[in-house]
Amino acid sequence: MSAEEERRQEIPGRRGGLLSSRRLILGIVVAVLVYAFAWQITEIDLEKLVTGAPDMVHIVKQLLQPDLLTREEEYQLAYGDFQVPCGPAAPQQPAASETEPYMVLSHLCGEPGEPLGVEGFNFRPNTKGILRWVPPTGTKRSLQRVGTDSEGHFAVGIAVPDVPASEELQEIEIELKWDVGLPYPSETTRIVLSKMVQTIMLALMATTVGVFVAVPLSFLAARNLMSKYRGTMIIYFLVRGVFNIVRSIEPYIWAIIFAVWVGIGPFAGVLALGMHSIAALGKLYSEQVESIDPGPIEAIQATGANALQTIMYAVVPQIVPPYIAFTIYRWDINVRMSTVIGFVGGGGIGFILIQWVNLLRYKQAGVAVWAIVIVVWTMDYVSSVVREKVV
Amino acid sequence: MLEIQNLTKIYEGGTVALRNVSMKVEDGEFLVIIGLSGSGKSTLLRCINRLIEPTEGRIIWDGVDVTHLSGEELRKVRRHIGMIFQQFNLVKRSSVLTNVLSGRLGYVNPWRSALGRFPKKDVDRALGALKQVGILDQAYKRSDELSGGQQQRVGIARALMQDPTLILADEPVASLDPATSHSILRYVEELNRDKGVTVLCSLHFLSLARAYATRIMALKDGEVVFEGSPAEIDDARFKEIYGEDAIQVEIR
Repeated sequence: MSAEEERRQEIPGRRGGLLSSRRLILGIVVAVLVYAFAWQITEIDLEKLVTGAPDMVHIVKQLLQPDLLTREEEYQLAYGDFQVPCGPAAPQQPAASETEPYMVLSHLCGEPGEPLGVEGFNFRPNTKGILRWVPPTGTKRSLQRVGTDSEGHFAVGIAVPDVPASEELQEIEIELKWDVGLPYPSETTRIVLSKMVQTIMLALMATTVGVFVAVPLSFLAARNLMSKYRGTMIIYFLVRGVFNIVRSIEPYIWAIIFAVWVGIGPFAGVLALGMHSIAALGKLYSEQVESIDPGPIEAIQATGANALQTIMYAVVPQIVPPYIAFTIYRWDINVRMSTVIGFVGGGGIGFILIQWVNLLRYKQAGVAVWAIVIVVWTMDYVSSVVREKVV
Repeated sequence: MLEIQNLTKIYEGGTVALRNVSMKVEDGEFLVIIGLSGSGKSTLLRCINRLIEPTEGRIIWDGVDVTHLSGEELRKVRRHIGMIFQQFNLVKRSSVLTNVLSGRLGYVNPWRSALGRFPKKDVDRALGALKQVGILDQAYKRSDELSGGQQQRVGIARALMQDPTLILADEPVASLDPATSHSILRYVEELNRDKGVTVLCSLHFLSLARAYATRIMALKDGEVVFEGSPAEIDDARFKEIYGEDAIQVEIR
């Protein structure tokens, strides 16, 4: 409808509009009720924004220290014996040495809870480590962190832990650890890289599937080509309808469906994103066909060209550049979606990201998040540059 | 010879574009069709090569009833009828040369040409046609980089490639400035005079029609309201064709 027609239609039936006072009051009452209900049903609780903040800060801190690089580790160990309670076993002080690291205990037996002094000599200077209690049965427990001074000496006071009495000897262990050599990519980084490659290839395959199916279908979904006969019009509505239905189902839902069908993994992701790409590209492509300039078509027809020639000479040159632009845009979207399609079983980097998140391994998750940010940003930039060049 | 008998075209929705139009065009004529916008000029021209299907009537060209041809036969007729358009109708993203070569599509192997391959002699000919219309140096540019006048020359070169015996020109200069209009119409006139190509050309301006036509036909509301020599159109005829309020505008 043209603007003029609209204006003309407005004149005879003009009503009070929204601002008539009774309607306005009714409208406000309804709006208040709806928002009150919505507030309640969505369980909005602003207090949680504050009470939950420390957890969030903790997670963000971890995410900001991604487990990107690692170094080789070296360590030093030393042991001392102790008995709980004092008995006939008579533990010995560890042997002192000129060069080797060793530990000296203030006494060699006692009751749980008693203070105990631990001193170490000849360790690696200025190094951090941990003191552990090793009972004769059961698991080791960490007692406290220790650090050596510039002489390689440390002295700490601990309490004998609450371990069951035993005739066998308890052991006290000191382990110092330090990094050596150059940093190199961590195991996490290597996993993330290989999964990222998988993710990008997943998006590539999905886009390819989308292109190959959507290109032929786009002609069937173009009104200007299909409106000539009743039969072709039925095909048009059918294809359009399928596009709309498929497109209205989110890729995540498709991923769940295909994960059940072909199993969890990147193949399910390819199918899910492919499915969505078919419908999305099909719609964009067919709109491009609909906006074709009919002039060149009639000019080419007038030369005596047949249908195939007319398509190749008048239609294809008009649609190929925008098709390429849409396809690159779609690949960009697919890369973005493929990073999270793994959350629901679609493979790629999302698959490990959600595992690390569930295991609360945020430093690893951080690597994946950063990788996603970099890849998505790069794709976004590259696709916009290429699209500008093509069209 | 082109003969049109009782041609009527009613569009879907009931618009009557042509009402019982009958006319004859002798070989070698430069017939200009004048009339207001919407008088049916474009429809008439497009019915001749069946870009538009006539509702009733017959079109006989060189003894062949064009109205009932289909498929291969229609294409064989079309390839001898060159067409030039107001909006040039070039494929904008294709090169000038490709646009000119597309004039050969009715002659060449459809499969080879669909892959973009043309015989060498056609390529040479296309370059020759571009030389003839004076834009050989533009051959490898994208056609939408050319000016309007240059684009229309590409349109003429494309029509030339068809070895036409008839040229249909639908408002060929309506999108061009007066000076360019003359240079374009002179190319068409040259074809008509030197190669004996019959020309059917619709024009807005009576002054242009007078300058180039061997005969003028006027359409009004889909009906022929005048047929005769350029000199016969006096003020009374003019008002009859263009309406009482019209004023003659000269294009020189």
